[in-house]
Amino acid sequence: MEITIDQRAHVTVVAVAGSIDALTADALVRAMGEQMHAGNTRLVAAFDGVEYTSSAGLRVLLATLKEARQRGGDLRLAAVQERVLRVLDLSGFTSILKCYPDVGAAVASFPSHHS
Amino acid sequence: MDTSSVARDPSLPHAPRATRGRVALVIGSGSVKCAAALGAYRALQREGIDVDMVVGCSAGSLFASVMALGYDPETCARMASGLWTKDLTSQPDRRALLRAAFPRLFGFDAHWGLRNDARIMRRMEETYGDRTFADARIPLFITATDFHTGEQVVLRSGRLVDAIRASIAIPFAFRPHEVDGRLLIDGFMSDPLPVGVAIREGANVIVAIGFESPYQSRVTSAGRFAFQLSSIMTNNLLKASFAFHGLAHHSEVIAVIPRFEQRIRLFDTAKMPYIIDEGERAMTEQVPYLRRLLAAVPAA
Repeated sequence: MEITIDQRAHVTVVAVAGSIDALTADALVRAMGEQMHAGNTRLVAAFDGVEYTSSAGLRVLLATLKEARQRGGDLRLAAVQERVLRVLDLSGFTSILKCYPDVGAAVASFPSHHS
Repeated sequence: MDTSSVARDPSLPHAPRATRGRVALVIGSGSVKCAAALGAYRALQREGIDVDMVVGCSAGSLFASVMALGYDPETCARMASGLWTKDLTSQPDRRALLRAAFPRLFGFDAHWGLRNDARIMRRMEETYGDRTFADARIPLFITATDFHTGEQVVLRSGRLVDAIRASIAIPFAFRPHEVDGRLLIDGFMSDPLPVGVAIREGANVIVAIGFESPYQSRVTSAGRFAFQLSSIMTNNLLKASFAFHGLAHHSEVIAVIPRFEQRIRLFDTAKMPYIIDEGERAMTEQVPYLRRLLAAVPAA
């Protein structure tokens, strides 16, 4: 799994490529944790490169989501592939996470600092 | 009927092979779509990945049972295709209609269903005979639902015919089935994809094959109306339960969700080869990860 961080104004875009599963979840937990501890709690996870997510991947998403919201931010998903979306949907995650068709829309969904 | 040998006590010992708590195959409800589990099983066998327990719910119990008995995937497919055919529900129970319309005159109780179950019982007797859970080479668990309390009931000993008949007691269609003094109805009513059973039995890696219940394109009868309501409730229950168990499990639940481009009706037995192939394809996609995972997850 590859993780790329891109700061876009008031939003941090975490682009993930590969599978989010029991073998890779720790890396994503660390990456997300580092961002939140640095004060970057408005997170967009760019999922266009995510081929698969398992229950372990979902647990990471949930933990990140809860921590981001506790810190006043949010985790939003962008460009989720159909295959991953089916797992998210089956697991009820689409009812608690906001999903956007692309990164631009997800970034724009966060209000600016001054609004 | 003598059902005294079918027990639900979780403390009872089960099938001969000891559970090492590694890989569980959980087959949810889904009528003929459950045949996809045979394809998944074929992929696992081809790759030399052992399954340490099988859990079946509703029609999934038919497929789970033939696998657990130790048949090869091709034989499983032949057995299952002979079992699950449209004519199973083609015999109406006319007395049941009268009992529904005139309950005081004809008497009405919980042992009610619109279809005669003689044919499916005969088919299952032909397929499974007197075989019991103890004949399973892989520990087998079949889920049903207590009609009176709504609790999930995990069957793990006794005659397979009784356990499966209880697990496939589709509401309205088939009468609930009495097992060990308990009146049982279809397993999907308590959990359409009983991953929790595998977690409780100590599985680490759980391969879960689940299906959403189809929605009706047109509601043209009371039967379709009831089916639509059932689908709505079942699908929401499936998501809630799967979400909880996926988050609660300490290790990994791998969802195998075959993609069916063709529309598949409840009894499209003729499409079974296609369904099996799609199940195999979906499982094969997960095999590389499963291999790496099994190498990393310690044996229980």
